Amino acid sequence: MNKVTILWLYDDLLDLYGDWANLLAVTKGLDAMEIQWEIDHKSLDDEIDFSAYQMVYLGPGKARNLARAAQDFIHRKEAVLAAVEQDTVFLVIGNSRLLFGKSFTDAQGEALPGIGLFDYTGQETGNVFISDVLAHPAFAPDIASYGFVNRTAHIHGNERDYLFTVQKGAGDSESDGGGEESLHEGNLYRNFFGSWQLGPLLVKNPEILKELLRRLVGEAFLDWNTTAEELALKLTLNEIQ
Amino acid sequence: MKMKLALLLGKLLYLLGKPLGKSTNLPGELALKICPDMMGRFRFDGKVLAVTGSNGKTSTSNMIAHILKKQGRSVVHNAKGSNLTGGVATALLAASTMGGRIKEDFVVLEVDERFSRLIFRDFSPDYLLCTNLFRDQLTRNGNVDVIIEKLHEAIKPQVKLILNGNDPISGDLAPENERVYYGLSKTAQSSERCLNITHDAKVCPRCLGRMAYQYYHYNHIGGFACSKCGYTNPQWTYTAADVDFASGDFTVNGCPVHTDYKDLFNILNTTAAIAACTELGLPLKDCCEAASTFVVLKQRYDEFSVDGRRAIMILSKNQNPVSFDQSITHVLEREGEKTVVVFVGNINHTGHRDTTWLYDIAFERLLGKVDAIVGTGPRAYDLAVRLKLAGFPTEQVRIERDLSHLKPVIDKTRGDICILTELYDAKSILGVISK
Repeated sequence: MNKVTILWLYDDLLDLYGDWANLLAVTKGLDAMEIQWEIDHKSLDDEIDFSAYQMVYLGPGKARNLARAAQDFIHRKEAVLAAVEQDTVFLVIGNSRLLFGKSFTDAQGEALPGIGLFDYTGQETGNVFISDVLAHPAFAPDIASYGFVNRTAHIHGNERDYLFTVQKGAGDSESDGGGEESLHEGNLYRNFFGSWQLGPLLVKNPEILKELLRRLVGEAFLDWNTTAEELALKLTLNEIQ
Repeated sequence: MKMKLALLLGKLLYLLGKPLGKSTNLPGELALKICPDMMGRFRFDGKVLAVTGSNGKTSTSNMIAHILKKQGRSVVHNAKGSNLTGGVATALLAASTMGGRIKEDFVVLEVDERFSRLIFRDFSPDYLLCTNLFRDQLTRNGNVDVIIEKLHEAIKPQVKLILNGNDPISGDLAPENERVYYGLSKTAQSSERCLNITHDAKVCPRCLGRMAYQYYHYNHIGGFACSKCGYTNPQWTYTAADVDFASGDFTVNGCPVHTDYKDLFNILNTTAAIAACTELGLPLKDCCEAASTFVVLKQRYDEFSVDGRRAIMILSKNQNPVSFDQSITHVLEREGEKTVVVFVGNINHTGHRDTTWLYDIAFERLLGKVDAIVGTGPRAYDLAVRLKLAGFPTEQVRIERDLSHLKPVIDKTRGDICILTELYDAKSILGVISK
């Protein structure tokens, strides 16, 4: 593989926290493998050819911005679903996950459409909920991961293709150990990675970054030194376990 | 009767706590428990000005109080940054007569933006100055839209607003209210692209169209125009111009002003203070003269000597990336060799281990400009990762999680020691490296 082209969708609207550094981690990994990369920024009303991208990233945003993005995103439903089925890598963090469910309601109770990749529905509450999360990714259950949830929305009815089994902290539900939805978090379907977890997720968890990159570059994948990241993760996990 | 009892006990606690340094919040909190609507019962002889915003509200309100006092006016002011409900109540009850009358010429209240709706539930300021609005402590505050909602609940129709014409977000507060703007045109230190990572106005706050900038002062503060609806910088009444970054001289509406704290952030805050005092009825020229004699509070910026090296404490607030970006600007302005020390702990108040906020700070601006960056505190290794991804060579990043073992690490670095952290952590660091 000579070059990876990444789409940062709604980079202007959905930019709430330091979550952009998931892309920084991806590009540093590609640098280490000596694979060229390019990031394209696209937003409302832009023409997008999803087949031109090997990876698509969407980050968390303000509720009002997400509602506006949803109105645009629904018109891209067929193209996005096709890209997922064609194994394009997706990284979808925070409340942008709501765009991929059946539908969600905003704080005023207005219903907004999702593209229906998953069966869950979402609800914006306006109340800040935070949690440290100790979990295990579905592709490597022996590995412990850390993420931080900071959300004002809920997801209900996420019942398949989980990305994480949660050991401690919040899953898709907010209660700790209180029912099925609190035991799982996120989605991994084909090469679609979706999670509430910040950290940023790929910075904080080098093994998840490497799994995503293996899927992104295939046989061109080469391992690189992530000792610093592993130490930072270990020190965090030691405090939570 | 309740009011009298609240004032009596509040004042007693205030006087008893003063020698112990515990009189900034508790007396007000107690008084409000006795008389919950106490704030609405005060009668003001003078004008009330509230100062809020994400960054710079303490310095700006201190500067306003300084200008007013320098001009011989009497002022009530919650000077120590006690800007929550208890702090404001304490300042008011301490100044009040037993009859609830506040006789001073002016009341200057620094107000936390989150608490503004509670503080102004039962009374209203005549003027409200908002310095700016940025992402700040998202785990506690929520995002900027949440803060705007809270401010809108606090701002009553009769309040005159004093707003930053370079900020598309706070500049659009409460559009129905009477307002006056201050602003700073493009300077030699303004840039054509945003030098920071945190940029909260990539889209227009009115229509969510993509925003275009002619220049940036810092973060999303600058000269802007929405490509979709045309929202652009308003006409400002108070114009800062002619900035000489070497001397710290500039003008406001042609009147000369001087500051030793020469960055764009402080020049805008100084202009805000001059605008506010002029709106309160003082002559512009007198305000500019008085502002020129203001010295930034030592709790915000202070210099020490440590083993023959200079140590500079620059207040930098956790989870407040713009605060860190400002501190980095100060570091870059210093000439000569320097080492930066950063304390990274868990989230204030909650203890969560999140360090996502480190990626909102443009540490990249320090690349090639410092001898070393030293990280300490429970999350210091997360800072090491942040700096690695920013491109710092391994040998320039020194990590010692245990603050008590920091001295030998810093002793191996060179140049001025710039400590970027919260005040209490800075004091601990200074204590350790001074031994």
